[in-house]
Amino acid sequence: MADQAPSAPLLSVRDLHVKFPTERGTVNAVNGVSFDLYEGKTLAIVGESGSGKSVTAKTLMNLLPRTARVSGEVTYDGRDVRALAAEKVKHFFGVQMTMVFQDPMTSLNPVKKVGEQIAETLRYHLGRSRSEALEEAVELLDVVGMPEPARRVTQYPHELSGGLRQRVVIAMALACQPRLLIADEPTTAVDVTVQKHLLDLLDELRRDRGMSMILITHDLGVAHGRADDVAVMYAGRVVETADARTLFFDMRHPYTEALLRSIPRIDDPVHHRLDPIPGRPPELIDPPDECAFAPRCIYAQSDCLGGVPELSGLVGLHRFACLHPTGTERGMAAMSSNRAAGVTAAGLPVTGSGGGSG
Amino acid sequence: MAGTGHAQLRDRDDVLLRVKDLVVHFPAGRRRVVHAVSEVTFDVVSGETLGIVGESGCGKSTVARAIIRLVDITAGEVLYEGRDLAGLEGEDLRRVRPQVQMIFQDPISSLNPRRRVRDVIAEGLAVWGDDIGSWSRDRIDELMDAVGVEARYGARRPHEFSGGQCQRIGIARALALDPKVLICDEPVSALDVSIQAQILNLLQDMKRRYGLTVLFISHDLSVVKNVSDRIVVMYLGKVCEIGSTAEIYSHPAHPYTRALLASIPEPAPTVDVSEGDIGDELPSATDPPSGCRFHTRCPRATDVCGEVEPVSEQIGDADHYVACHHPVAVEITAR
Repeated sequence: MADQAPSAPLLSVRDLHVKFPTERGTVNAVNGVSFDLYEGKTLAIVGESGSGKSVTAKTLMNLLPRTARVSGEVTYDGRDVRALAAEKVKHFFGVQMTMVFQDPMTSLNPVKKVGEQIAETLRYHLGRSRSEALEEAVELLDVVGMPEPARRVTQYPHELSGGLRQRVVIAMALACQPRLLIADEPTTAVDVTVQKHLLDLLDELRRDRGMSMILITHDLGVAHGRADDVAVMYAGRVVETADARTLFFDMRHPYTEALLRSIPRIDDPVHHRLDPIPGRPPELIDPPDECAFAPRCIYAQSDCLGGVPELSGLVGLHRFACLHPTGTERGMAAMSSNRAAGVTAAGLPVTGSGGGSG
Repeated sequence: MAGTGHAQLRDRDDVLLRVKDLVVHFPAGRRRVVHAVSEVTFDVVSGETLGIVGESGCGKSTVARAIIRLVDITAGEVLYEGRDLAGLEGEDLRRVRPQVQMIFQDPISSLNPRRRVRDVIAEGLAVWGDDIGSWSRDRIDELMDAVGVEARYGARRPHEFSGGQCQRIGIARALALDPKVLICDEPVSALDVSIQAQILNLLQDMKRRYGLTVLFISHDLSVVKNVSDRIVVMYLGKVCEIGSTAEIYSHPAHPYTRALLASIPEPAPTVDVSEGDIGDELPSATDPPSGCRFHTRCPRATDVCGEVEPVSEQIGDADHYVACHHPVAVEITAR
């Protein structure tokens, strides 16, 4: 394949679908996800449990169970990633592209010294000798800010705190100089002071090494501070994607707006009444042919129930999948007609005070 | 604090719960002990929501569990309506417990998976029926309705509900005995973002409707600020800072409180982001640091901090108490 022009994305995902057959029916975990990631950038994928964000990440890393049915294109630096996976190509996953998981305790081997676990990666992928690999492991631990790295390599995971364990996992991920790091809820299991250190570290590594990063998180605050671009997922689809500033301050999708409105913020007044999203996320088995957010959406009109809205706009720009976007005239009209009726087209009661930025 | 002292206790008639010099040790083998809670002192007045905030290992959950005697109290007092719960045993303890109920972090595993949710909610009433007065189907229906779970689903079992619904059922169960105090231990941490606000609002509504006094434990500073009238900040088994919510968030004085506020993804405007740069090694609770327990990570620590344990002192005349040798000077307008 020819070299990519400088403007070509490092990773490009087109119309990705992932289905899991289960006893209760087929779970449509990912339904047509597309995005681009450029060299040196961080894309945050934000969503709640069941939104498909982790399944998307695992698909990229070829970590899905065999029962999963995948379709769509994933291109990394001009190479077809799904074909690489099918050919069982060595030294791609874990080398070019690596992943850091949520719980460091389950991604480390509990009965193996951490130095050896890092060295194992180097020996397998890069053919280092045992002693070279152990030396490099110490250097890597130093890079990720581990105090006393020479002593730590001889310790077992249970001897380390959660924050230090996660540093070991990050060191392993960096071992082969990846160009893309996928971090799946990397700080969800740790305390806030530790979270800050880990996110600072990931930022620094990305900058120093020119890596690209996909940061998967349920925490909008984390996405806001750390990402260049953000994709919001709901029920297996990207419902809105934009650069971080646009997404947080000039969003178009009612779900993005409702999510941001529902979380308590540190500068809100004490006992500030929260504005929750009514209802709960939809079932992913046999979803109805309508906007998945419509039953919970205060903007919903009858056309929202007539089919799933497409993500409009060009890839790479501000895109959203909504027929009556917030902050537009159509959105305002939808809101005022729902308010006047006291109910949305999907049957959700609307009170005068609820939501609506206009 | 990361210290001791009683300055934060209030001399009022409506103090419902007073925890004084509470100590909880857990054996850790080879005659070592985990100092989970060390001389913690605070009080809660009737109708108040007290937030207890801190990171894992700070002892916040152990304090809550000690109050309802789910763990043994090593030393200290837990005065509930003037009675010391620490010394109660057997029938006396059993009689107090309905008045102090608890909801837990994991809403699904805290419900018995084999029982219908109606029976889960009714359990306490079935045990206490004769003492608390007659109860009926209507009472369960009313509770389910109050927490927003349709009564017609009463025959279903917990696994048929979502996490948010299970937390509502847990709240109904806690409220069934008409408690005075509700202890909430990380009640929304396991829930999705869009569901958290529903549960937080529900807790506020239940508090108002049933006249509850609430102890709210969380690691999430934004959530605690939203629900609490007064806040206790804990670190490694000790109290750092206590005060009205407005005081703590507008003038945080303890370096640890400030570090927490600076570490959250969208830091509080009252602190500088660099104040969050404390080491990420929490000292061992079996061998806690001398003096102020926070001194090993504290950017303001001096020699005295490693030698002398700070005692809580009031800041000006505000409802704000800090145990620190070098509290961050805050402008006190009323001084």
